[in-house]
Amino acid sequence: MAVLDQTGGVARAAPDRARPREKALRRRSSALRRAFPYLLVAPAVIYLLGITLYPGAYAIYQSFYLVRFTEWIPVGFDNYVELWSDSEFWQALLNTLIIGGIALALECVIAMALAFFAYRDALIRVWRIVFLMPMLFMPSAVAFVWKLAFNDGRVISDLLRKIGLIDGNLDFLGNVWLARSTLIVADLWQWTPFLFIIFVAALQSQDQEVEEAARLDGASWPAIFWNVSLPMIRPVIAVAVVLRGIDITTMFTNVFILTKGTPGGTTETISYFIYRQGFQTFNFGYASAAAVVMLVVTILAAQLVVKRAFRSGKA
Amino acid sequence: MARIELRNVVKRYGSFTGVRRMDLDIADEEFLVLLGPSGCGKTTTMRMIAGLEEPSEGEVVIGGEVVNEVDARDRDVAMVFQGYALYPNMSIYENIRFPLRMRGIGKSDQDALIRRAAEMVELGDFLDRKPGALSGGQRQRAALARAVVRQPQVFLMDEPLSNLDAKLRSSMRVQIKHLQRQLRITTVYVTHDQIEAMTLADRIVIMEKGVIRQIGTPDEIYSDPADTFVAGFIGAPPMNLVEGKAENGRFTAPGLVAACPPDISGRITLGVRPEDCRVVTDGPAELAGAVYGVEPTGETTYLTLRTGETLFEVKAARDARFDLGAPVKICFDPERIYFFDTETGVRLRAQPQRSAA
Repeated sequence: MAVLDQTGGVARAAPDRARPREKALRRRSSALRRAFPYLLVAPAVIYLLGITLYPGAYAIYQSFYLVRFTEWIPVGFDNYVELWSDSEFWQALLNTLIIGGIALALECVIAMALAFFAYRDALIRVWRIVFLMPMLFMPSAVAFVWKLAFNDGRVISDLLRKIGLIDGNLDFLGNVWLARSTLIVADLWQWTPFLFIIFVAALQSQDQEVEEAARLDGASWPAIFWNVSLPMIRPVIAVAVVLRGIDITTMFTNVFILTKGTPGGTTETISYFIYRQGFQTFNFGYASAAAVVMLVVTILAAQLVVKRAFRSGKA
Repeated sequence: MARIELRNVVKRYGSFTGVRRMDLDIADEEFLVLLGPSGCGKTTTMRMIAGLEEPSEGEVVIGGEVVNEVDARDRDVAMVFQGYALYPNMSIYENIRFPLRMRGIGKSDQDALIRRAAEMVELGDFLDRKPGALSGGQRQRAALARAVVRQPQVFLMDEPLSNLDAKLRSSMRVQIKHLQRQLRITTVYVTHDQIEAMTLADRIVIMEKGVIRQIGTPDEIYSDPADTFVAGFIGAPPMNLVEGKAENGRFTAPGLVAACPPDISGRITLGVRPEDCRVVTDGPAELAGAVYGVEPTGETTYLTLRTGETLFEVKAARDARFDLGAPVKICFDPERIYFFDTETGVRLRAQPQRSAA
């Protein structure tokens, strides 16, 4: 708006040089002129509101109702109260924390280790493309391949037996930790590259002089990495971990295709719990309440991590 | 404390040669300045001494030991960078401590060394601050402290003052020189600023396009330049260089006639510094021109004259004032006129053997 007023002012100051288009603009009503910038951004804003804010608000609204198809019965905070005492919800939360936490930690360590070895390498462009590849596949297709490898096709079980690590067959769905590890491995394979690429970019864009100074100060490469590089890219690490963490909390595809929560609900993530409540038992109000809880928890956790990382990075 | 030698050192980047065939002998405790325009290879040379670049050919010798295969971290060389290169996440104390920590110096000895280094650069009160909370000059002093704290064999400084403002630069210059004299550590200092070079150096190495043009003390470089590049690079304002012809002991150019050694002839460039010129009102003079500009600096007045196509700068009296276009005559100090081969730029000397430097 300010910009538009300014150009108007300029045009007024030098009317003899104003071109016909500018004159036409000046003649337009001031109301339209004031609305013009908003009209320009309106499509994008409407689109964004439509796919995020509206469903979000709708979910919050719905979470206060007992929904039986077309029948909506207002129940106040009953859904939330019920969630509080629902052992399945707590189990799902715990599963998400365990599976997501282990996966995220491993991904961070592996990605950072790979990044450390790769970022000064002459072939880094090649490595980036190679490591990018898993991310390019459709997650559901990858999940089906893992299903074949772990469960239906028993590929991994056979391979482990061939190299003599196990006798007999492994039933990856028959054991809590085996089932969880399939989800962890699948996530690791596809999403470690995401962190790797961000870490490499961060390491490459750090001030080279500082690394050189550390080298001349007598630091070995691991010492430089630990004492100088890592602290410098800390904010980037925090942001990447938050993004990946949010993504992991909503882990659904692999659960849906690989384990469906078995054995005994020990691999059921929050997303799968919400899905089950909403689309299998058609308890939409309850599912919405669980989704809202997750939203709040995720936002708080993300805020905490990012704030901490950025605050201690300064002064 | 070590002598540094570069033997036949070459640095190539693909088809581009950054440094070609360089031989340099830096004495123990010497303050050597590598001076030249950007891209002349001075920083590359320093980085090869540091071990941050590997020479394509030749040997780098520090303290009698060939160090080509020695990693930068084991060369016992400290460097001060243009951008300070402090560790932003550590306090100044931690920054200065880092080289001690990395070299495994005992915790009990560290504190005294750190405080001494910080005192040396007058940073004692800032030890618990992070670099981000310091001014440019303080950061550079912190970088100096980090370099001196472990008493390295060699000091390398890569344009350490170029991010500072002019006033701070001159006071830091004095500090650096004082520090170097006090610690007696062999120092190599890279700069493109000839004032820094002149004021700091025991010897200056002037480089251009990867080649050493001249090595000498500041006095030698100033009063005995080897070629037109050195002559034009050193001095502010720079030496006047006028192209002309020499015949039978006379050098002539538009508006300029000067005596020259009889054995010099052909296309010659005459060089004379603004401070070796004198404005005269009458009598014989080498140069006649019209006033093109008058620049009083307070301490003196610089007069720019136009003769033919060239502008010629002269240092005149402090209170000299001229109208633009006024005719002026100039006398040269006969001891301080230089002649160069216009083609090659090489200095031509009046000695009987006529050897080029």
